[in-house]
Amino acid sequence: MTPPRYRLLVALTALVPVVALAGCGGAQSPNTGSKTAPPLVIHAVDAGSYQENFNPFHLEGVNFGTTGLIHETLEYFNKLKPGESKPWLATEHQWSNDGKTLTFTLRQGVKWTDGKPFTADDVAFTFDTMRKHPSLNRSALDIAGTKVLAPDKVEIDFGETSYAKLFNIAGNTGIVPKHVFEKQDPVTFTNPKPVGTGPYMLSSFSAQLYEMKKNPGYWQPGKPVVPTLRFPAYTANAVQTGLQQGEIDWAGAFVPDIDKIYVQGQPDQNKYFFPPEGLVSLLPNLTNPILAKPEVRQALNLAIDRDKIVKVAERGYTTPPHPSGVVMPGGEAYLPPEHKDAKYTVDIERAKQLLKDSGVQPDKLSFTLLVPSPFTDWVNAAQLIREDLAKIGVKVETRGVAFADWVSKVGKGSFDLSIRATPFGPTPYFSMRSLLLSDLTQPVGTSATGNYQRWKDGESDRLLAEYAATEDEAEQQQAVQKLGKIMVEKLPVLPLFYSPAWAQYRTGKYVGWPSKENPYALASPYVSPDAAIVLLNLKPAGT
Amino acid sequence: MRFLARRLGFYLLTAWAAVTLNFLIPRMMPGDPVDLLVARLKGNVDPAAIEAMKQAFGISDANLWVQYVDYLGNLFNGELGRSITFFPTEVTTIITGALPWTVGLVGVATLISYLLGTLLGVLAAWKRGSWLDGVLPVSTFMHAVPYFWVALALVFVFGVTLRWFPVSRAYGLDVVPAWDGPFVSSVLYHAALPAITIVIASMADRILGMRNVMVTTLGEDYVVMAEAKGLTSRRVMWAYAARNAILPNITSFALSLGFVVGGSVLTEIVFSYPGIGSMLLKAVENEDFPLMQGIFLVISLAVLVANFLADLAYVVLDPRTRQEA
Repeated sequence: MTPPRYRLLVALTALVPVVALAGCGGAQSPNTGSKTAPPLVIHAVDAGSYQENFNPFHLEGVNFGTTGLIHETLEYFNKLKPGESKPWLATEHQWSNDGKTLTFTLRQGVKWTDGKPFTADDVAFTFDTMRKHPSLNRSALDIAGTKVLAPDKVEIDFGETSYAKLFNIAGNTGIVPKHVFEKQDPVTFTNPKPVGTGPYMLSSFSAQLYEMKKNPGYWQPGKPVVPTLRFPAYTANAVQTGLQQGEIDWAGAFVPDIDKIYVQGQPDQNKYFFPPEGLVSLLPNLTNPILAKPEVRQALNLAIDRDKIVKVAERGYTTPPHPSGVVMPGGEAYLPPEHKDAKYTVDIERAKQLLKDSGVQPDKLSFTLLVPSPFTDWVNAAQLIREDLAKIGVKVETRGVAFADWVSKVGKGSFDLSIRATPFGPTPYFSMRSLLLSDLTQPVGTSATGNYQRWKDGESDRLLAEYAATEDEAEQQQAVQKLGKIMVEKLPVLPLFYSPAWAQYRTGKYVGWPSKENPYALASPYVSPDAAIVLLNLKPAGT
Repeated sequence: MRFLARRLGFYLLTAWAAVTLNFLIPRMMPGDPVDLLVARLKGNVDPAAIEAMKQAFGISDANLWVQYVDYLGNLFNGELGRSITFFPTEVTTIITGALPWTVGLVGVATLISYLLGTLLGVLAAWKRGSWLDGVLPVSTFMHAVPYFWVALALVFVFGVTLRWFPVSRAYGLDVVPAWDGPFVSSVLYHAALPAITIVIASMADRILGMRNVMVTTLGEDYVVMAEAKGLTSRRVMWAYAARNAILPNITSFALSLGFVVGGSVLTEIVFSYPGIGSMLLKAVENEDFPLMQGIFLVISLAVLVANFLADLAYVVLDPRTRQEA
């Protein structure tokens, strides 16, 4: 078969039918008869081209796979099963000194891909680097110092009780080799030849494609099974065509009409799984005296038809949330017992009654709803909310603005109503903190860093502090349950639907992907280190 | 010479104005690059780390004047800073990575469109009343249709449905960038469809412009005179009419050459082409000041240089500009 590029001259001389044939044959044909396992083609993030950066301390400029596939974390936390974690580079951890000291016991026999052994020095170096360079400390860990106790034991000291930051410390920090990084300025180092402990190593890089091959000395024997990963640069447009033409094996993209574009009548092969990764809520600005009235929020809550929003605006890709805002299924242990079976139901009559009882004059019930216009699904949801609220006599004007403008306005609190997603962490505490902690909010006019609706409640703050002050899982769950109760009863925000984590995977080459039945990790290729967990679980198809 | 010196002074002043605007415009956008970064990273950054990150990115709250002086100083040293989106990659690295693709694609396409368009325009004016008149309604139509519509239609027909051409990227994934046959032909193959869309969409302007000026010129006395002398019609058409009619077209050609550097944002988006246009879009979306400034700088300098070259060409082509002093 002739690859299409050789037909170039033919194409230019307009011998069209010949080219057409070559073009048709241009689609991927993975197995060329040999027995070696085929490469996996992955779309992780939208990119027109890549810059060469594999430094796990960096945020957005870093290429996907750096953390997880190359630089591993100490533990793994499954966000779909809050409370579930797995030892990884560390076999165990122990808190002491009121949660200000954390000691890790490290896995033995792990080697960096350049052959040097992985030791406690590397872990200490990684956290020391974050202490010395606050701009690399993206979780704002209050690191006071590190101590190497033994080649396989390391102690990290914190300035404050840090139980609640275990995920950020152990589950979200890629460990770097001291012997490579100590010779560099970690802030500007781009780590072009990464040396990691992970299942894959970088084998080639160009602006349009990078490839990773399996680490033959990986510490999990016999893994990974997939020998090569290919990461071609796909823009948001190109990924749609890529999925349509079957070039991509694993993608994390929003696809407008997924059955037509991607599934194409082959639901057994072209699968997708969109588990919740966050909570999308309607934010009522609580500095607005009318929206500050609980009855008004109750009325709005009763009038909004979430089922319709999910079906129409979200194309059925997600579900209405549990009213407590806890991730479901998976978060059962964190649900407030008295509201375990709570569900959203529309009740226009009661909503009208509540508004009447609130004593607010009907002509004051008029708000603008600010949405970022590039998020077309939210714009549609806003229209539906406008129609729903019109039924109870609340006038809503939807206003679409540019993304940057929306971020700025919501941050500063200059809105009546807006829609915003709050990401879930490994337990519901993370989203509750971001939604409810009064420390995160700011007076209107100053950029807040969370709690954009400006909820100030002593009880919420106390419960959040309670969670952070203990490592006992039962106590943490109780604190979250009570926070969930506040969410259901006092409506600091009005949850609308779960924001889905996009994942499309084709089972033609490999099987063993996360699914509704076995949600062992987020299935999206853009989530670290979950993507590494997924790749380690894959098996060749047909075995 | 005085003419040129005056022009040069004018260009220096314009360059300063452009550089200053490059500095001001990104800063007038609402919002803040780090807040946007935090919003995009969906909870992967603790808000408490924002201040330290701002420092690392070189975003200061210092007053604009201090920032402006710093900016000019860095510019003179050729320092464009590091991109925020692609931190810590330097802006110059990003621009040098993207620029060749844009110059190659849009530059060549602009040249082809100019040559073809001018030729068709001259012929359409010369052979009025022949079948070539059919070019006019077609050009008017193409002139009116938005570019992205043409591009998307071609992508749909030739890329997605017929699969004659690839619809994204600058080269195939099966080749490694190098100066060899497979790579070069892959680049050409991938550039074909975007180039064709640019040519089709921009040629109409040239045809119409050239034809209209040419028709006016054909009514001039010296053309009648040339015909009366019994010169060959080929000679009259090219040496008498077209040579005079082409002056306005040179200006517009020079201008469009300047804009080549800015890339055709729409082309690059539709075809996922890794040029300056897509980078600029990304920079604007992310309020990446350093990257935006760098790209604007390159674009404005290119436009100025192209204009200067057009001035020079005028001096050569039009004797009147030389006599003026």
